Amino acid sequence: MRALLFGALWIHLASCTLLLGAFVMPLLAGQPEVPTARRWDRELVAWARGIVLVALASGAVWLLARTAVFENRSGAALDPRAVAHAVLDTWPGLVWLARHALLIVLGAFVGMRATVDERRDWIAARGEALLLASLALALVSASSHAAAISPGTARTVAADVVHVLATGVWLGGLVALVALTRCAARDEGADARPYAVLAARRFSRAALVAMLLLIGSGVMNALAQVESIPALVGTPHGRLLLAKLALLVPILVLAFVNRTRVLPGLSAPRVMRRLIVFVAVEAGLALVIVALAAAMTLTTPARHAAPVWPLPFRLSLEELLDASVRSRALVGSQLAVAGVVGLLATLLVRRRRFLVLGVGLALVAVGAGTGLPPLVVDAYPTSYRRPLVTYNAASIASGAAVYRESCAGCHSARWLTSASNARRHAGELFWLVSNGITGRDMPGFDTRLPEAQRWDVINYMRAAGAAAAGPSLGPQIEPDRAWMIAPDFPVAVGPLTPGALRDYRGRRMVLLVIYTLPDSRARLTELARMYDVLWVTGVEVIAVPTHGSPEAIAELGASPPILFPVLTDGAREIVAAYGMLAPGPHAEILIDRQGYVRAIWRGDGGAVQAQVEQLNAERSPPPFPDDHVH
Amino acid sequence: MPVWQVAVMLNLVLAMAVGVGYAGWGRRAAALDRELDAARVQVERLERERQACAGGAHAGEQQWDGRGVVRAVYPQLLIITHEEIRGLLPARTTSFRAASRGLGASLHVGDPIRFALRGTVVDDAAVVAVERW
Repeated sequence: MRALLFGALWIHLASCTLLLGAFVMPLLAGQPEVPTARRWDRELVAWARGIVLVALASGAVWLLARTAVFENRSGAALDPRAVAHAVLDTWPGLVWLARHALLIVLGAFVGMRATVDERRDWIAARGEALLLASLALALVSASSHAAAISPGTARTVAADVVHVLATGVWLGGLVALVALTRCAARDEGADARPYAVLAARRFSRAALVAMLLLIGSGVMNALAQVESIPALVGTPHGRLLLAKLALLVPILVLAFVNRTRVLPGLSAPRVMRRLIVFVAVEAGLALVIVALAAAMTLTTPARHAAPVWPLPFRLSLEELLDASVRSRALVGSQLAVAGVVGLLATLLVRRRRFLVLGVGLALVAVGAGTGLPPLVVDAYPTSYRRPLVTYNAASIASGAAVYRESCAGCHSARWLTSASNARRHAGELFWLVSNGITGRDMPGFDTRLPEAQRWDVINYMRAAGAAAAGPSLGPQIEPDRAWMIAPDFPVAVGPLTPGALRDYRGRRMVLLVIYTLPDSRARLTELARMYDVLWVTGVEVIAVPTHGSPEAIAELGASPPILFPVLTDGAREIVAAYGMLAPGPHAEILIDRQGYVRAIWRGDGGAVQAQVEQLNAERSPPPFPDDHVH
Repeated sequence: MPVWQVAVMLNLVLAMAVGVGYAGWGRRAAALDRELDAARVQVERLERERQACAGGAHAGEQQWDGRGVVRAVYPQLLIITHEEIRGLLPARTTSFRAASRGLGASLHVGDPIRFALRGTVVDDAAVVAVERW
């Protein structure tokens, strides 16, 4: 069914693209005056009638196949109720309806046997057909991957509209140009040669603009839908995009040759025949690009897919933290920059061009050879995989238990918090935990531990690494320096529907109070009295008993009334995770509005109010942290 | 009819179809959404008024039901950490007036409860019934 869906979509997109070009090309060339050119113009309209039928038929097949895929049963393709549901009750169905209504109107319009000898009528006929074909093609974007991006939907849809229309002008125009040049290259079509030369030159200029728009909008689409290099090289969607780019290279070479070598001598029939071959090859490659675009439409966008890194290495800028690597990378980069300057100079200076070219290339090669190797680190297929489990207290506590049982026997506490572990991506740690390290006798745990538990271990390792750097965090906040992510946890008060720490992001700071009775009684009383002031200054206080009792609220008693949330469930996990930062019977942790730990009071609480005022005075808060470790 | 006039007519028809479609369907659909929301709010309000009336309330009073945990008890005041009370308050800790003095007598800090509020707006809503959850 997916093959049918792909085939129908490819034919549909290609025919809509050709329709657009069939009306762009005559309008670029102008109303034909000579018999051969007029015949070409009429032939284009006749083709357009056939292409509209192909577009409608392939669109109908696409709809039926899509209905079957939506309903997950092949019989749905022939079930009128299912098809009506897919058309009328879904956004892609409504877009399909609007597009095919436009195609029917276009078919009826080009099907009119009207006389268009007068210039005004001819322009109106071709312009109207171009408008209808453009609308039918542009509306594809309304139900594309671009339309699913939020926020910024209008921008991404606009870029996609420009992309598909520029494709139509370029690819559709190429096919129409081949047809015109074929007519003019024949002996009996000699009268159309001046017209063909004029048309080819005008199309060349229009195609250049269309190609620039294609590349610009394509870059915007890639930034929105692919986002990163790992997604580009490690997902089916990204690889299809790379294949499109690879096909674009010979097309650009052909276009360059056509523009610089063929067009100047186009009036000769021999050169026209060469142009026909070059342009036909260019159009053929472009049709393959449309097939790749259709395949991209049917794959998960790269930004949402789990990338599989294809190389055994990657470049890591974190290696620059080493002074020796930094100096070597600096030397290499400067050599490479000098080489690039030399290469750019060859575009401007003719004298000794090849010598400068050679020296420039050598400098780039030596610079890359000097600066890049120290940045190369081992990589694995899961290097850029997004963790299955979020960075939360329960996962860290579970990971700690698994680590103690399965890992601590071989790995020291120093190794756990080492800089080399901190520099590895979470996905690389996951690969090593899952598959082991052969040379070091470390076994793989992919069959011994479920995937979620392996991610728990990695969350624990990240928390341990943060805790090792934690002593630098004390009772005084470091202004404008937020780096330690607060692990999430459920905020469960009695049997009420629980919230989560992350619910406070962007709204309130949180003072997390880990307490033990009776030692913490005095501080809790003080906080209860301060609660109104803290609340007004944007702070929520969340109290967590170290012994984790469902009766925690009742145990605090009625006087003085403690009105901030006191957690009655999940306390053990929270104490285990945050206890790595601040062990002891009483600790207070100030979490800013973005979700970062900013101050820690180990033992007694302190002057919270002063730190809160500083956080309230910060002008450029950091971005919200990701819910997963990296 | 000349082709250019056909093209102009066609564009006018398309523009009118889009305009009429928006005016007759898009705007109507948006208005229907608003009317539906208003009707839903009205139905919920009437339901709360019916509940309040069945309990012997004055005309115009409504009744809201909530679930929460008791945080403090005073003779005329209950402080409750509660879930969202639909049509009245989001989830938070709120102090509510007790409709009668004995209402909180059997309650202790930390008790999970279901409670009913009665009043016309949030400021005059009072707890009229409490039961352990």
